[in-house]
Amino acid sequence: MSEDAELLQRIRAGATDEFAELVRRHQARVFAILHRYERDVQRVEDLAQETFLKAWRALGQFDERAPFEHWVSRIAVRTALDHLRREKKHRGDLGFDDLGEDALDWLQAGDAKSELDSRSAAETLHLALAELSPVDRVVITMQELEGRSVKEIAAAIGASAIAVRVRAVRARAKLKHALEKLTAGGR
Amino acid sequence: MNEEKLKKLFAAARRDAPPAPPADFAADLLRAVRREPPAAPPSPVTVFDQLNGWFPRLALAAAAIIILCLAADFALSSAGLPDLGDGAAQMSSQLDMNDDGL
Repeated sequence: MSEDAELLQRIRAGATDEFAELVRRHQARVFAILHRYERDVQRVEDLAQETFLKAWRALGQFDERAPFEHWVSRIAVRTALDHLRREKKHRGDLGFDDLGEDALDWLQAGDAKSELDSRSAAETLHLALAELSPVDRVVITMQELEGRSVKEIAAAIGASAIAVRVRAVRARAKLKHALEKLTAGGR
Repeated sequence: MNEEKLKKLFAAARRDAPPAPPADFAADLLRAVRREPPAAPPSPVTVFDQLNGWFPRLALAAAAIIILCLAADFALSSAGLPDLGDGAAQMSSQLDMNDDGL
């Protein structure tokens, strides 16, 4: 039996305080997932809290044969998806004003030889991905930034593997278009 | 935006470090958990739930038996042997004869 499974048994038996230990074990992963969808650190923390509270409420449905890490990661992705759907309603136009000078120079450079620092790259992608639908955004993020399999993405968004493959191709094309728009907007 | 440039962008973004959770995150969360109403116990499995689980298998078994019976009847008729219908008719006529005798 895994350490998580033992901990979960104690929590189910009424040791509520042990949940804090479970949170400590998985909080870094949950923060990393959520940070792919939200750049504001305070909001990431709120979303992480929402994720673990959802996990707490649904603990009775958790199948102990599967790793807890996978289960809580799926909850984090769904929490991020709900957050993106809420945000989409209030979002304005593509915000190339927020794009840093380095990122803009890199985007406008004809070749791909120069390097872009990781923070600027993540921020640029974040801006471009905001043009996509929430589900397309999750598919691209999971596939390209987290290296997840089609099966994992399908389980996270509740779609078939074929639907994920089709969506990934279309979303990638939309992302390229959004990046071109960002590049042109800065000129 | 060409494919090579897009791949470079993904690769650089993958290296972006996520924020570290605050030191008291788990403790704060535990306080929020304690404020939660107690979780309802999982509902017991009813007879209907069990039947729902068994139904597809029962339906398949019933369909297999029907197909086997039809195949057997067809094979017996093709071989010139009395089929199931003949047997039933014979039994029925015997019963009629017994009734006449009474």
